[in-house]
Amino acid sequence: MLLTSVVFAPLIGAIVCLIMPKELTRVVAVLTSAITFALSLFLILPFLGGGDASRAIEVFGGAYGEKLHFVHRLPWITGETFSIEYFLGVDGLSMPLIVLTTFVALLACLASWNFNEWKINKSIKGYFFLFLLLEMGMIGTFAALNFFLFYIFWEIMLLPMYFLIGVWGGPRKEYAAIKFFLFTLAGSVLMLVALVAMFFYSGEAVAGGAPSGYLSGVEITQGTFDLIELATNDAIQQHFGASSTLFLGRAFAPLMFMFLFVGFAVKLPAVPLHTWLPDAHVEAPTPISMILAGVLLKMGGYGFLRLCYPIFPTGGVAWAGVLATIGVVSILYGALCAMAQTDFKKLVAYSSVSHMGYVLLGIAVMTHTGFQGAMFQMIAHGVSSPMCFFLVGVIYDRAHHREINRFGGLWLTMPKYGTMATIGFFASLGLPGLCGFIGEIYVLLGTFEARHQFAWAVPAAILAASAVILTAGYVLWLIQRVYLGPEREEHAGFPEATGREMLILVPFAAFCILFGILPKHLFFDYVNGTLVNIVDAVQAATQTGAAYAAGF
Amino acid sequence: MSNYETYLAIGVVIPLISFVILLFFGPRLGKPTAGWVAVSAMGASCVLATMTLVGWHGEDSIARMSLTAAASHNQFHWADLGAVAVRIGVKLDSLTVIMFFMVTFISFWIFVFSIGYMAGHSDEVAGKSKYHRFFCYLSLFGFSMLGLVVSSNLLFLFIFWELVGLCSYLLIGFYFDKKFASDAAMKAFITNRVGDFGFIFGLMMVFFFLHTLDLDGAAAEFAHQYRSESGIFEQGFVINLFGWQLSGMTLATAMGIGLFCGAMGKSAQFPLQVWLPDAMAGPTPVSALIHAATMVAAGVYLVARVFRLLTPDAQMFIAVIGCITLTLMALVAVVQTDIKKCLAYSTLSQLGYMIFGLGVGAWIAALFHLMTHAFFKAMLFLGSGQVIEGCHHEQDMRKMGGLMKKMPMTGLTFLIGVLAISGFGIPGMGVGLGGYFSKDEILAVAWDRSYMWNEPIEHHGDAGHAEGDLQSTSAGTSVAVRIVPEGRSDNSPAIHRRDPMPTVTRSPVGTVESTPGLHPSLRDSNVSGIRNPPAINRRATFDRPYGADRDVAALTAADTPDHRNAESSFRLVSDPHAAIPSEPRDSSRADAPTSIKAGIPALPKWLFWCALITAYVTPFYMMRCWWMTFMGKPRDQHVHDHAHESPMMWFPLVVLAVFTFVASYWVFRPMIADAAAVATNAVAVVGLDGVADTAGQAHGELIHVHDAHHWLATGVGWSWLIAFVVAFLIYRNGLALGSKLKALFGPLATLLEKKYYFDELYGFLFVMGCRAVAQVCRFFDTYIIDMFANLAAKITERFAAFSGRGVDANVVDGVFNGLAATSMDISNLVRSPQTGRIRNYVLFAAGGAAVVILLVLFLVSPLAPGTMLSAINP
Repeated sequence: MLLTSVVFAPLIGAIVCLIMPKELTRVVAVLTSAITFALSLFLILPFLGGGDASRAIEVFGGAYGEKLHFVHRLPWITGETFSIEYFLGVDGLSMPLIVLTTFVALLACLASWNFNEWKINKSIKGYFFLFLLLEMGMIGTFAALNFFLFYIFWEIMLLPMYFLIGVWGGPRKEYAAIKFFLFTLAGSVLMLVALVAMFFYSGEAVAGGAPSGYLSGVEITQGTFDLIELATNDAIQQHFGASSTLFLGRAFAPLMFMFLFVGFAVKLPAVPLHTWLPDAHVEAPTPISMILAGVLLKMGGYGFLRLCYPIFPTGGVAWAGVLATIGVVSILYGALCAMAQTDFKKLVAYSSVSHMGYVLLGIAVMTHTGFQGAMFQMIAHGVSSPMCFFLVGVIYDRAHHREINRFGGLWLTMPKYGTMATIGFFASLGLPGLCGFIGEIYVLLGTFEARHQFAWAVPAAILAASAVILTAGYVLWLIQRVYLGPEREEHAGFPEATGREMLILVPFAAFCILFGILPKHLFFDYVNGTLVNIVDAVQAATQTGAAYAAGF
Repeated sequence: MSNYETYLAIGVVIPLISFVILLFFGPRLGKPTAGWVAVSAMGASCVLATMTLVGWHGEDSIARMSLTAAASHNQFHWADLGAVAVRIGVKLDSLTVIMFFMVTFISFWIFVFSIGYMAGHSDEVAGKSKYHRFFCYLSLFGFSMLGLVVSSNLLFLFIFWELVGLCSYLLIGFYFDKKFASDAAMKAFITNRVGDFGFIFGLMMVFFFLHTLDLDGAAAEFAHQYRSESGIFEQGFVINLFGWQLSGMTLATAMGIGLFCGAMGKSAQFPLQVWLPDAMAGPTPVSALIHAATMVAAGVYLVARVFRLLTPDAQMFIAVIGCITLTLMALVAVVQTDIKKCLAYSTLSQLGYMIFGLGVGAWIAALFHLMTHAFFKAMLFLGSGQVIEGCHHEQDMRKMGGLMKKMPMTGLTFLIGVLAISGFGIPGMGVGLGGYFSKDEILAVAWDRSYMWNEPIEHHGDAGHAEGDLQSTSAGTSVAVRIVPEGRSDNSPAIHRRDPMPTVTRSPVGTVESTPGLHPSLRDSNVSGIRNPPAINRRATFDRPYGADRDVAALTAADTPDHRNAESSFRLVSDPHAAIPSEPRDSSRADAPTSIKAGIPALPKWLFWCALITAYVTPFYMMRCWWMTFMGKPRDQHVHDHAHESPMMWFPLVVLAVFTFVASYWVFRPMIADAAAVATNAVAVVGLDGVADTAGQAHGELIHVHDAHHWLATGVGWSWLIAFVVAFLIYRNGLALGSKLKALFGPLATLLEKKYYFDELYGFLFVMGCRAVAQVCRFFDTYIIDMFANLAAKITERFAAFSGRGVDANVVDGVFNGLAATSMDISNLVRSPQTGRIRNYVLFAAGGAAVVILLVLFLVSPLAPGTMLSAINP
């Protein structure tokens, strides 16, 4: 129930927003996201050992000791030949992302506090309604363990985002919103194909009645949308992975993997499917950029870890080289593009492409270290990039432009803000001691570690490592042009960051530092269990995959 | 936790506390108070460091061993990298203790100096006081640097490594309203990042092949793998790196070079030297602390720490880089007119000496040089800071002159620094300043490896037994001195120096190929560009076989009291894992060290000659610098009138001057020698110096006693005097003669003044190149990729327009108008931006998806036989 209330609390708030008078809308929205954040903190308890672990459900057959917490499952849509469950639950994979979502949403909501000063006199009620609806969609996506439900939440996210960019955005908002919408939709259409195919193929696999992968004593006789079942049921796994299982004349697992991958790669975003991102960021209002960078991009990485790899491990093996190449290209290409930007926000957007490339690379190599690094990178980027976008927003509110070359000396004008900016951008740069470093080094080490398996692992690691120079290049150049140098006349009157702005920046900065200093105690201790299980399962499939490879 | 460990750990944390206080309360504390907070924090650390140093000095070697071992077991579990646990701990050994003392001591006095320096207007950035911020950064630097020194783990070393880089960035760019300052800061950071790229590569190799990032653990694993031909040294184990086949020794070499790349960045070695001279844009105390004494020495410290992971080829690489740096940079220093730049180039050159020293195997001498250099170079920089502050921020030496009368304390202490860096000393008497001993020792080792390396030597004395005292053995021709315990079968420890074990053939025809257990890559003798001499090297036996390493603990002074008395200078620190039972030695590699020594090439002679010639150049430009600043007639009356000195600033100078003397003789050298016993104890390492306890002894040992070295002793020993005289003759009457000489050398002088055009070259090649590539990427992204996306949209739109008017119009309209209406209902308050055209876009979505599916299915054919898993190794 707790999880359900976390998911739907924003929806209730959204409806209240519509009812309340205009003046109170933002109060309601902030309260709602604060309550949601507070509720989501309870999700951490079982991972600390303080919660009620007895009600947890073992997954992966319990063989790895991994557990699902706060499971809430109800029959939802039941037909003659199918049944769709309302199935929510958290494990080490989704818990950090849900907490990140509520955290970023709360701060983004605070960042929307000065809505009336945006000079876009469009319905404040609509804005906060959609904002909270978006939050619900995001939490739901991370919490859903039924593919059908997952898909629905996935699509629910899309619509509010479209309007938030398209209505409250900048000059080219229509173009950006539609581009965002279409790219994501194109990806999710492929996901829909996979959804249907997986349902029917799993039905084939368990036609005679197979024991459930993780619910002891239960036999399943028809196709399922249950993501855990799909990943843990031996009959389904064997059928999916067999080279004789064909879909449209092609081997099933690699094809389905690719369908899902394309859907998630759009969100990640991976080059060359990234072009919606800079446009969307540039046009979106600051809080929406924060959500976009902080949470929405993580959907892609989460999708890989939740769907692609556990369900189609052989597909992961088959496509590893392609994925890693895309990852490395994203890292370098994103960094180079960022270097050439003169629009502050676009630069940060491209840096996101570069950083999320590490996620893809870390996942593609399928090592423990790589997965851990990818997961950490998602959280680290989820903290540092909304901070960077907010930093951009703060000066945009004052200067009403984002031309990097027109700034300068802002550290003199706004010392506190300048200090925060230094922390944020150095975290983005991957300075050791701040959060960005841990993810990068883990991914690099994990990539190198995969040398046993992939001949390209070492060159990939070296190329990815060379990005540290490029990253330092564009970040420092940015800092120099915006924050250093003499004060400019036109900006001299800028007020220092306000209390509200500091209230948003300080938690981000604190987490940037904390995650960099204590990665194990704040993060890895809770997620490693799940990640190790997934990697082990993938690796086990790789062993059989060698025989499978011979079938191609 | 022993006291020492606690002291050091607290000593690291105190500056961090100061940093936090200054960060939050700095502005409230105000101008002098904020500075005193930092000073007292560093003072407290310095007290702890002194307590540690004194206590440690009183411990005997056995106690030190057990303390080191205890410290290595007392660690905090920080994170897991895959299956490898990363632990934080204090690396407690002699090197840490002295480095910690050096850093805290110098930092403390520089902080004191800074209060004086910042008393004027030096704390202002664009007219606003940033006083507290300066001390805030300094405290952070103190924390990071001390953390770097005590790190027992390569990953943590790297983390602190980057943090000192950050402090350096912030402090170079302290006057960030000035373009040149922020440029210099950026240049420093990015250049360091280039080095760090190599460092990360090295870390990856260590992580992957040695399965640990712990310094001791990695060294032990490295030796173990070498001995058992497993892991990185496995037969037939090849890694393909962009077509470059790496195996065994070459792989290990790449690892060593990777780690060294980090040092190249921080210690500003060729070709990454470009940032250090520019870094002088920071306030002068920063130049003294970070860019002369401590941070730039971190690279040298790193190489010293990972010395056990370096193969002979990696060492050769290091030696060559060091030699290039020391020579080129010394020459540039000759033409500098900016007092700080002159010191900066001299720092580069001296760092080159240290790196060169490590490369040739003079581990002790190199670190001793680091210590002495830290004191006198800090003092020189502070002196220049006093001059600059006194002369109202005038840095051009051409406008100075005759300042001795106005600034006597500064002038005198500066002179002491000049003497120390020049290697002032009197050959034959064992009297001199730090640079004299350390530099000469490095040169002696280089000479030995260049000229004495392949000669067979006569054998005297019984191997495996303790030799007589130092003097009796020093009659031999060799410089090489190592402590070699006997094999484990013999429980009685044996220490002998200078005498190779008789088991090794000294036949000049014993080829490398004939040696069993030699690694194939060595057998090919193409490990590096330098061919191995065919004869078995006489150095072959000087290192102890690694198998004996673990029972070095047995080699205690207590076992051999006589020997201990005779050789009071010996101190031996064991491997911290001494308590662990030794592994059985792999017979195939029993004499592996022997064979690997045989593969160690002699040093190319030019390396030695470059270093030797530079020994003459250094005193010349230092004397030139001092003379131009303090002696002669005042050349700019305005500057001269303003010149003054303040006690807050000259007092630290005097303290450092005193320590320049102290550091030359006592405490440091024995402790470094002590640390060397472990640090240079490795299979693939050539370590030459390593016994003498004090600098004077080592000097006598290495240079003076042997006839063969007499010319070297004299030639190096008097270089300072010769160069001083030349400098005096040229500059005693002002700058006229100097200018004439410069005109005489024309293009050469221009080349030096332009610093060999490195800045221009890099600016064009990397900065412009990178920006150009970035612009290309941007163009590609904006026009090409987006063009495809937009084109697809356009085509679909046309198609939709066509089909929309066609047969399906009613159906499609029905569905999508309904959809649009629904979404409009939901967003009742929101005007949809796209009311009229939404059907086109949704149609596009469907059409686009269909196209993608078709593409994936039929064009991209990953499922064709054999293509799918080709990436996987069978």
